[in-house]
Amino acid sequence: MLVFLQQVINGLAQGGIYSLIAIGWTTVFGIVGVINWTHGEVYMLGAYTGYFVTTYLGLPMIPALLISMAAGALIAMAVDQFGYKPLRKKGVLAATGFITALGISTILRYTANAVFTVNPKAYPELVEQKLITICTISGQPLTISSLHLYILIGTIIIMVCLELFIKHTLTGKAMLAASQDMQTLGLMGVNAEKLIKVTFAISGALGAAAGFFIGTIYAINPTMGALAGLKGWSCAILGGIGSITGSLVGGIILGIVENLTAGFISTGYKDAIGFAVMILVLLIKPSGLMGYKFEEKV
Amino acid sequence: MKRERFLGKNGKTAFLGSAVLVLLICYIDKFHGGSAWIPTYFQHVLVNCLIAAILALGLNFVSGYLGQTSLGHAAFYGIGAYTTAVLLKYTGLNFWITIPIGLLLAALISIPLAMASLRVKGQFLIVITYAFCEILRFVAINTAALGGTAGIPGLKSPEIFGIKITKLASTSKGGYILILFLITAAVAFFAWKTEHSRIGYAFSAIREDEIAAVAMGINTRYYKILAMVISAVICSIAGSFQAVFASMVSPELLNATKSISIFTMVVIGGRRSIKGMILGGILLTILPELFHSVKDIAGLPFDPWMILYGFLLVFMMRFRPQGIWGADKKETVQTEEE
Repeated sequence: MLVFLQQVINGLAQGGIYSLIAIGWTTVFGIVGVINWTHGEVYMLGAYTGYFVTTYLGLPMIPALLISMAAGALIAMAVDQFGYKPLRKKGVLAATGFITALGISTILRYTANAVFTVNPKAYPELVEQKLITICTISGQPLTISSLHLYILIGTIIIMVCLELFIKHTLTGKAMLAASQDMQTLGLMGVNAEKLIKVTFAISGALGAAAGFFIGTIYAINPTMGALAGLKGWSCAILGGIGSITGSLVGGIILGIVENLTAGFISTGYKDAIGFAVMILVLLIKPSGLMGYKFEEKV
Repeated sequence: MKRERFLGKNGKTAFLGSAVLVLLICYIDKFHGGSAWIPTYFQHVLVNCLIAAILALGLNFVSGYLGQTSLGHAAFYGIGAYTTAVLLKYTGLNFWITIPIGLLLAALISIPLAMASLRVKGQFLIVITYAFCEILRFVAINTAALGGTAGIPGLKSPEIFGIKITKLASTSKGGYILILFLITAAVAFFAWKTEHSRIGYAFSAIREDEIAAVAMGINTRYYKILAMVISAVICSIAGSFQAVFASMVSPELLNATKSISIFTMVVIGGRRSIKGMILGGILLTILPELFHSVKDIAGLPFDPWMILYGFLLVFMMRFRPQGIWGADKKETVQTEEE
């Protein structure tokens, strides 16, 4: 029981990171309608930005996090500007968007590979690493790493900000409306291009934040985006496409399930479990745990 | 229906022409003294081209004729290769018997994936196929009998009519070139026949307008599963040969990059065009090798090919989304919209 609870707690921080990636996927998909395959690369570049500003500029955690989020937002907007926008203008995004995304993601990943080299990099210690005891069960302590705690708090703050932004600003409300019907929204006089840029910026900022957080725990490398990106997408599907709360829940569930798999079944299958969950959810309940029912596209 | 022409010639001429070329490549060095004219390395790349062409022709059934995107076809390639490797290693079965076993297995495993393609479409099918292949890769890595990350090395070269394939021509690769050339030609012929048959027309109907196809009484369920099974079988054959040609299998075969590369062969060559598939397979095999040597010669610390590959995809989508040998633009745009 104690081991079980401990694994659940260990999974929380990882789950929070997955949620951040998942929200980036789901907002872009909801509004632009393309699976933004470059999201994993934005996450990787965010992690590298964090690495450079903490290592070479010696910035503390919060400014470094903000800088990498800004960098992530810029990269995602650039991807949209040079990758998707010309296709959108031609009206062929549905047919060609995915392969373009695949291409851009390849460019970013292997350029990063060439520039940063394949050797993994590790962040300097930003916060003092220690185990904090939450409570004791029959004499055994239940602990959480200080780092994980910071990540969880950071994730929750970012989520709350995002929720406030979407519920209480005009742009946020327009985004919500756009995810349901972009065309009608255009008729209402909303500048769709601007809205799309904002969406990409948010998506990129969250992806970069996730990359920054993962960098504080593990070493980073240029190919880390591929797997993490797909896992974020799994969480988005699990929680329900288009739902931010759903992505949060989906991410936390995947984080915990992965840790339990690693703890009780086999570490080798840790990464496979997320994909298995995703396939099952898509086949059984494609709208996910909390998503609204999206129209079946034929 | 106009027959597809290859450089202005029909399929038979193209086959005979390339057959002569292949025979020349394989045997020219037997008829003159001195050093070999055709380097072994070139023949090695040619074998890889042929395997790639078979894979692209296989995926074409799903991604071309039916218009569904699959990023998981390395799964079937891997299944074929691993089946052959496991049977050769543990049972010592004849290589030629392992091929039908591998393709049966690939066909069986493809059915659940085909079922999934009945339920979800477009973007969601992409991630399902991708995840499916990743899961198989993790299974290969984590199963001791499949050799884990190291894979299964030391597979023996098979025999044909009592002669080892490696001894068939002047170099050890020549035999593979001959056999794979015949298989590529057979698969291309089969694809061409299918395209101009009742089945092919049903595929087109489903691709163009699924609801109309159902209304006309086409059993879309049956045809979608059929396309997936056919493509799985073809990819598994390529896998079996890859296993013995490289004399080893490893989880690298199931890498997502492989799946993506098969898919881009189809896209770059031009969906539904048989010569396009062969061209796509050849291009995406030769170009990486070419840039690999550029890297070695220029002494670059990284491989420039993958970056260029990304740019190639982006520009292709921007300026010629239908692929090199694809049908005209208007049609492609209509059919691809989900």
